[in-house]
Amino acid sequence: MAHLVLLGALVLICALSLLVGPGDLGDADLRQTFLSLRAARVAGAILAGGALATAGAMVQGLFRNPLASPSILGTTAGASFGGQVVMLAHSSLASTGLLAWVAPEMLLPIGCMAGAFFSLAVLLAFVRRGADLLSLLLIGFALTSLLLALGSFLTTLAQEQYELGRAVVAFTLGGLGGIGWAHVRLAIPLIGAAVVAGWLWGRPLDLLLAGETEAASLGVDVRSARRWTIAWVGVLTAAAVAIGGNIAFVGLVVPHALRPFVGSEHRRLIPASFLGGATFLSACDLLARLMPTRVEAPLGVVTGLVGAPLFLLLLVRMRAEATS
Amino acid sequence: MIRASELVVHRGEQRVLNGVSFSAQGGEVTCILGPNGAGKSTLLSALAGLLPISSGAVSVGDVELASLSHRARARKVAFVPQRTGLRSSLHVQTVVSHGRYAHSGGLGRPGPADLEAIEEAMKETDVIGLRERRFDQLSTGERRRVLIARALATRAEVLLLDEPAAALDVRYTLELHALMRRLADSGRCVVVVLHELDAARTLAEHAVLLSGGKPVATGPSSEVVSAEHIRNVYGVELVEEGALGFRLGDLR
Repeated sequence: MAHLVLLGALVLICALSLLVGPGDLGDADLRQTFLSLRAARVAGAILAGGALATAGAMVQGLFRNPLASPSILGTTAGASFGGQVVMLAHSSLASTGLLAWVAPEMLLPIGCMAGAFFSLAVLLAFVRRGADLLSLLLIGFALTSLLLALGSFLTTLAQEQYELGRAVVAFTLGGLGGIGWAHVRLAIPLIGAAVVAGWLWGRPLDLLLAGETEAASLGVDVRSARRWTIAWVGVLTAAAVAIGGNIAFVGLVVPHALRPFVGSEHRRLIPASFLGGATFLSACDLLARLMPTRVEAPLGVVTGLVGAPLFLLLLVRMRAEATS
Repeated sequence: MIRASELVVHRGEQRVLNGVSFSAQGGEVTCILGPNGAGKSTLLSALAGLLPISSGAVSVGDVELASLSHRARARKVAFVPQRTGLRSSLHVQTVVSHGRYAHSGGLGRPGPADLEAIEEAMKETDVIGLRERRFDQLSTGERRRVLIARALATRAEVLLLDEPAAALDVRYTLELHALMRRLADSGRCVVVVLHELDAARTLAEHAVLLSGGKPVATGPSSEVVSAEHIRNVYGVELVEEGALGFRLGDLR
């Protein structure tokens, strides 16, 4: 039932997103173009929001902590840093033709993937050395700090060129303004495969809610479950960052908000999170487009403005439930 | 039947188990006794295959546990921890169904055999009436029964329980002991870590008394829980019939 409600809400938001926004759909010559641009943007919002929320549900299950999110592993910061590196490299090497073999719209996703997998490789190296979950959280925190600092340095360097500086800042703040069908086509198989994989890992994640020792006693290969969950979370996060840049709070808030309605079973929570994340980000993107500001509000700012109070509200409710 | 042979286990640099050998039979309750820090819980975890073994072996029947996959091991040996890390809103029936994970294949959908095992485990532990309740809203005693049901759902021949009566009142404790007795009588090999020496005598056929990671005495529980062993290991005098005794009443 909850899944149907979410699906209905998503369809409604998508329809609104297609119909509302700058540009007159009454103009027969431009209608097709407007609708195509808006549809690509809506598809981007669905994919990025769904991917982040799915990754959030998986990370919260793995770490047995409803307040965890993909960003705690350093994956978001890694993907963001990778994207920034590629943007600067593309700008510097454009005249040399060294990057001519890659289509321009492919560069950013490749950079995000490389960055996400770099941070994951560091994390997995510690997993192989037997790091426990608390250590992984701390390593994720250190990685995030390091990569954000490096990213800030690159943002500063990018300011030497006006256009590049603007593009890097826009990417850092998050937004779906520049998304095209090429991005969508690239993201669909990656995110689709990762969501299906997340669903398949749902049962071991359920058992891991009791802790690693209990899960192992019930037959879960804990190391393998941990390694693959982290890897698929990396794929989801990198794809989402490549589509929409740095988008805050989706991975944290959406699974947390849905758990009271769909329960903690991951095979129910993961599809619900995908739908919920897609709906939440589509709605935030619509809000960003409709805000009465001279320039469009960055999507990351809108998700933060909506997500942070929502998150605090959920926390208050959780505390109230715990003490009642 | 489960057998430990010359088991040596380290935790970090410390040698916690120092050459433990014993065996427990199906149809019997075997208890592991010993003072705090003797290595009882470590031994139980090692028997469950949850700890790396430095040397020695654990075998169930003719099969060495270390040679089995994670799932195959879980089908042989079920483990009930003293405290669960589960703080989730999952329903009781879902928690019990986790015991079937080791049997599931493909997409992991429960088949008729799984549903039958889950139902039977809930009946044996008397948690049928709790099936729709949230696990995080149960009392400590109810949670213990659900965890035992989860272990029974594995249909493993060996059941390992780590201090199942810890922090339970006398009624829940006696009900748990009665449950363990029934499980052993149904043919299972029940190995339980206990602190209560009087319960060891009344509940278990056999006992292993550990001290400093080594077995001091093994054999029939009435012989292991003797004045001499208790004095040597715990430094206290055994007073026969000195403690209060309790039994489950007829009214429930």
